[in-house]
Amino acid sequence: MLGDVLLIGEKHENAAKIILPHILKNRKNKYIIAISGESGSGKTELSHVIARMLRKEGIICKPIHIDNYYRIHPLERTEWRKAHGIETAVGLGEYDWDTIYRNIDDFRNDMISTMPCIDLVTEQVDHLTTDFKGIEMIIVDGLYAIHTEGVDLRIFIELTYHETKKAQVVRGKEPQNEYRMHVLEREHQVVQSLRDKADIFINKEYQVVTAR
Amino acid sequence: MLNDILLLNKKHEGAARTILDRVIQELTPKYIITISGEVETGKCEVAHMLGRLLKKEGIGLKLLHMDNYYKIAPLERNDWRRRHGIDSVGYNEYDWEVVSRTLKGFREGKLTTLPCVDLFTGQIDQLTTNFAGIQVLIIEGLYSVKIEEANLKVFIEQTYRDTIEEQKLSGKEELDDFRMQILEREHQVVQSLKPLADFYLDFDTSSEIFHY
Repeated sequence: MLGDVLLIGEKHENAAKIILPHILKNRKNKYIIAISGESGSGKTELSHVIARMLRKEGIICKPIHIDNYYRIHPLERTEWRKAHGIETAVGLGEYDWDTIYRNIDDFRNDMISTMPCIDLVTEQVDHLTTDFKGIEMIIVDGLYAIHTEGVDLRIFIELTYHETKKAQVVRGKEPQNEYRMHVLEREHQVVQSLRDKADIFINKEYQVVTAR
Repeated sequence: MLNDILLLNKKHEGAARTILDRVIQELTPKYIITISGEVETGKCEVAHMLGRLLKKEGIGLKLLHMDNYYKIAPLERNDWRRRHGIDSVGYNEYDWEVVSRTLKGFREGKLTTLPCVDLFTGQIDQLTTNFAGIQVLIIEGLYSVKIEEANLKVFIEQTYRDTIEEQKLSGKEELDDFRMQILEREHQVVQSLKPLADFYLDFDTSSEIFHY
């Protein structure tokens, strides 16, 4: 993702500090971390901070943003969703899972891989080619990231869009409108349906809680 | 550039608006803007804000970061500089051939592959983008003012000493002796290129004056 705006705060740093030992304890080559949560819950921020801390531990980790993998181009997505109806259109099927799994396989096999990369300033879909050789870990973040199979650690941020409405306005990412709220509600339902898959939860106070 | 952090504020927006007025007045097809200045003076932030404003005007644009064009990858650069001496620091560190290739792709409106550094992995990834329909190119970087064919050459009038005073640099990196020597050398080179610019930006917050 190019041109994204992150708002990194102490809460992300604190959560990452608690998650880090979990990762180090289970450290292995080609480790995959996934972070799910609703829009504006701080997935990308958390992912950034974890990757930075891993780097300090000498672990090379590449963040991968699943927002790059929507089958429908950002500029056409709203129209497409309107044409198909929110209930059918919005959800897991919007991701290009074939490409996601192809890139993950390339990561596992130390291969050179090409992936979509959205430029948020221009809303163009560029393509990024990277060499996964020597990359020890990836962090996949996105609404439905923990749905991905073969992930080693699944993190779920419990903040819902109701609580982050303010955060969204502050981030200035998109104007609030009624249709957007319907989409957020549908995304909320789908994200919450994935909750049980998580190994680690970040609760509404941004405290880290381990599953069972 | 992947995984870089921007700190955007009103002064960047104000500066970007001043540049926008000028750009709109004299816009021609395939218009190139360079933004240069010393380290951490807000080049990337101004470029980003200007990009957003141009997009709002319906103008197709792309941002380029010259930090992607160093011949030596970030992780090896320090060693390389130590081996070659401080005089090796300067605009010849950029791979100007690759820069020319990108500019050619832009002028011809073609699918173009350019370097894209991932600051976490330290790798130079390759980004493929389509310049068809892209009207404006914004190029930011220490020595981007050297790009002769640019239509507008913006120069930010701040020095690394101001940045150190504002503690912007010390928050980001350790300033050891060698790093200080590099900053001083970059300062000299950037200041020697200053006369090439045709639009000078002054972030002196007490006056908020932007002059031509």
